[in-house]
Amino acid sequence: MSAWRHVRTLLVLAHMLAISLMAFPAPSGGMNRSAWKDPSVQAEFKAWRQRLAGWGYELTAEQFEEELWQVASTYMGARTAVLQPLNPYFMYAGTWQSWRMFVGPHTHPARLRVEVERDGAWELVYEGRSWEHTWNSAIFDHDRMRSAVFRYAWARYARTYPRFVDWVAREAREDFPEATRVRVSFFKYRTRSPAEVRAGVPVEGEVILPKVRTLGGEP
Amino acid sequence: MSAWSRLVDWMDTPESGTSLALVRILTGGVVLRTIGAVWWSGVTQAIWYDAAHGGIRDLGRGNFLMKMLGGPTPERVDGMMALTMLLGLGVLLGMGGPIASRVIAFATMQCFMSLADLNGHAGGSYDELITNLLWLLVLAGPTKTLSLESLRTTGSWTSGRSLARWTRLLVVFQAIVMYATTGWQKVSAHWVPGGDLSALYYILQQPTWQHFDHSWVAWVYPLTQVGTIVSWLWEVTAPLWLLAFVVSLGQGGGRIGRWLRLLHVREGYLVVGMIFHVGVAAMMNIGPFTWASLCLYPAFIHPWEWERAWGRLARSTEPPTAT
Repeated sequence: MSAWRHVRTLLVLAHMLAISLMAFPAPSGGMNRSAWKDPSVQAEFKAWRQRLAGWGYELTAEQFEEELWQVASTYMGARTAVLQPLNPYFMYAGTWQSWRMFVGPHTHPARLRVEVERDGAWELVYEGRSWEHTWNSAIFDHDRMRSAVFRYAWARYARTYPRFVDWVAREAREDFPEATRVRVSFFKYRTRSPAEVRAGVPVEGEVILPKVRTLGGEP
Repeated sequence: MSAWSRLVDWMDTPESGTSLALVRILTGGVVLRTIGAVWWSGVTQAIWYDAAHGGIRDLGRGNFLMKMLGGPTPERVDGMMALTMLLGLGVLLGMGGPIASRVIAFATMQCFMSLADLNGHAGGSYDELITNLLWLLVLAGPTKTLSLESLRTTGSWTSGRSLARWTRLLVVFQAIVMYATTGWQKVSAHWVPGGDLSALYYILQQPTWQHFDHSWVAWVYPLTQVGTIVSWLWEVTAPLWLLAFVVSLGQGGGRIGRWLRLLHVREGYLVVGMIFHVGVAAMMNIGPFTWASLCLYPAFIHPWEWERAWGRLARSTEPPTAT
């Protein structure tokens, strides 16, 4: 019994070490060069280049990204090697640690829009966070669906986005039997600064990723 | 006595299971709420059914448990949701003795993972927090008090049977790891001191997580800057909370320990954390993350503090005796 107390303490400490290693900061979700092109990410890079320049470390945008990529790749390689033997513990004991929550605000967000075509005119039936255009909002506004929709506006999810549009079309076909087409898109915009909001500056943005599917209604 | 032996003794120090029982009750409730909300909203088909059955994506065959069962057909997904909620209820109620309660917690965790892992696009950190909590319940087996097991074996909902201290320490440690490492990753120019401290303002403007439009926050922008720096410092310095928790268990820790106790640092972190989570829940829809996080909090309050508070409450609600 006494030996078990010692073994148990060792196991408790091993658990603490394993989850600490797994949780230690890592740019896992950021190891994607296409995601680096997003204006939110570019704005962060610019702010850090300016800060580094203030500390006497001048870098061009290309140099900064290249150096960052090299450092991050090396670090991630070492991290993978360290965590490899522990993966079964994370996988089967449910002890994954991924706490990259709101690490940087997304200053160029995208709002989902769904339109249906009836009698030759497009009608907005759903828009993210709208009180007016609320078709299927019980589903679109569920937190798990929000998480999915958030991803589909990013280039790295370009393969899944058309499947999402297909799914929206199936739902629209049932709810709008008279509609001829459905159009899914995102309104991507720069978040206004507090001063701009107070001054009443209008939101500037553009519709991106428009995709159209034919429904069953008569044209 | 060696330092190692002292550590073993310290970890094994017996204490009442009240704090951990509250963690268990809340965790069971969060499992019920999380799966129940998916079912209630009607989002199951979109996110957890395969594209062949009306879902958005090709989901493959799922994790090892779903594979063993033959893959995520709609019937299996629906059945798994029902089973997970049933098991979550078992966790909440505190069913089973030392072995059965661990089996129930483990089965809850595996069933929950088999659902959450179906679609990596439709989840969040809350899924991992819930499975971590359930695993800690597997390790601890906390059905000694505030449980059906206590009622069955002692005839009372509460019992004085003790648990080793390490069981609660693991819950506290999990909270600290989560908060500290999320803070250490907030290196955005909008978060760190020396920048414009606009992180909270911009996060509140993100349509993905808003309950409704938060443009009005622009008129109280300085408050969001204060919120940004307070929440960043609170997360980054979370290891101090762990230290404050450890020294609050005794009279040791030297001068630092005395100051941490005197300044009520453990209680301060706890209050700020609760305000932070309740505030986030009021303004944003981040799923069950708030409630899953709050499951960790009872562990920061010592069992004797819960019992003292309960005693006070019971006395204050007693009808006055006739004299």
